[in-house]
Amino acid sequence: QEFQFGPCQVDGIVLQKLWQAFWAMKDIVQAQDNITSVRLLRKEVLQNVSETESCHLLHALLRFYVNTVFKNYHDKAVEFGILKSFSTLANNFFVIVSKLQASQEKMFSTRESARRRFLLFYRAFKQLDREAAVTKAFGEMDILLRWMEKFNQL
Amino acid sequence: VPCVSGDLHKPTNVTFISINMKNILQWNPPEGLQGMEVSYTVQYFIYGQKKWLNKSECRNISRTYCDLSAETSDYEHQYYAKVKAMWRTNCSKWAETGRFYPFLETQIGPPEVALTTDEKSISIVLTAPKKWKKNPEESSISMQQIYSNLKYNVSIYNTKSNRTWSQCVTNHTLVFSWLEPDTLYCVLVESFVPGPPRITHPSERQCVSTLEDQTTALEVK
Amino acid sequence: DGVAVLPAPQNLSMQSTNMKHVLTWSPVIVPEEIIRYSVEYQGEYESLYTSHIWIPSSWCSPTQRPECDITEDITATVSYSLRVRATLGSLTSAWSTLKHRFNQNSTILTPPGMEITMDGFHLLIKLEDLGPHFEFFVFYWRREPGAKEHVKVVRPGVLPVYLETVEPGAAYCVKARTFVKAIGRHSAFSRTECVKVQGEALPL
Repeated sequence: QEFQFGPCQVDGIVLQKLWQAFWAMKDIVQAQDNITSVRLLRKEVLQNVSETESCHLLHALLRFYVNTVFKNYHDKAVEFGILKSFSTLANNFFVIVSKLQASQEKMFSTRESARRRFLLFYRAFKQLDREAAVTKAFGEMDILLRWMEKFNQL
Repeated sequence: VPCVSGDLHKPTNVTFISINMKNILQWNPPEGLQGMEVSYTVQYFIYGQKKWLNKSECRNISRTYCDLSAETSDYEHQYYAKVKAMWRTNCSKWAETGRFYPFLETQIGPPEVALTTDEKSISIVLTAPKKWKKNPEESSISMQQIYSNLKYNVSIYNTKSNRTWSQCVTNHTLVFSWLEPDTLYCVLVESFVPGPPRITHPSERQCVSTLEDQTTALEVK
Repeated sequence: DGVAVLPAPQNLSMQSTNMKHVLTWSPVIVPEEIIRYSVEYQGEYESLYTSHIWIPSSWCSPTQRPECDITEDITATVSYSLRVRATLGSLTSAWSTLKHRFNQNSTILTPPGMEITMDGFHLLIKLEDLGPHFEFFVFYWRREPGAKEHVKVVRPGVLPVYLETVEPGAAYCVKARTFVKAIGRHSAFSRTECVKVQGEALPL
């Protein structure tokens, strides 16, 4: 089983494990998000993404999740007792980012359109209070995993 | 007549029950009010949008469920729903669901299973479960069209040898040949979609007998 | 308790076979006392981003045995750091950390156990249950010159799996190996098993 994001390939990721990890904490995490009128990963960010674009976009999103969302949600994960699920997702996202790093650097054609999509997400994130934005992004990982699943070559 | 909010306990266990995208909101009466003449009002909300929306058919109802399939039919959106109870001039606060994501949470019903036999074989034709539709005239959408990675786990039970074996398939027709003549076989099929954990619904167990071996039948005559 | 300082566990070692990962260590001995141990882990993410945080293992925080099955804690193909300490009442030892970080891609994969059976003219295979990580590549062929080899990918399950409808009088052979997606590795093949189908061969 591997993921094919256009020219970028990622193997060794068992999506079922990520689903199980997120599902174990979904209710706890999403219940903390009170700003239900804002969706960060809107359809404009993820819909109709071309294969070549997907490599850039996923790399940008997951790098942001690893460097910002997980980093700032860690204390909450300890507080809610969801460290195990948190660790599963953080380490697997870390693997994907590392594997995408090299291949997405070599591609220039769709970098700009993927960047525009990422900026839609990032601007919405920045408009919220920091803690609320991190909580919302963490709770929207089901949207992210659902989008990643489309590129999963079973 | 406006009611005094907060004097009643809230309805409990407010949750979506979803099978093949038929999304029913259901709840339990407030504590201490079972059997009383309580009425309920439902609203729903599309995650990322601004306002709670009314469901007119679920205003002041006495039943404890409300069909929100039409309102939640875009399965790539996420939703919330809430319900409040009213009794005489009192009403409860709203009781809300968690975030509901139909695409990830709907349970996949079993396929339709059609069996035909002859002397030594059984052919099984599976028809993917149908997505909920608003009215019967609409054309049907198969759940296979929504979940391209839909699979079926077919199990076969030989009542004579008392053995059961299984096969995981993605196609919709399979033939088991060289079966034992004049033997009852039972078939059970379950739909399966990789992804988040889902409750599965096996099909009804269907049994069919292979025909008598014609050669022995002729010899008997 | 007569024990001023509790010694830290020694000789930490990792055994991993078929994606079952067990950490072992030498027991800390205090006569007539029960020593308990706690195991904690860090993945690469934690080591890099939250190095002060260690995660208690699912089954061994605490445990009385000098070993810990950490299979459920290893959920990514990254290197993990593991540590153990001993406790006796209010006394706790220093942490002992596994010398080399552990990655599940180093697990030993053994050929799968399998049982070939028939139900009438149906070739069935029952495979050893090695857990959710495993898929099985099953190769089967009719034992005759020039026979074509078929392969079927089988996921773990309770029931025997149907392979092929066979012909009376013929012989069929089967071998299998495991595949673990998470680490992208196969096991060696199992022994080949052959079965003869009852009944007379069909006229050509």
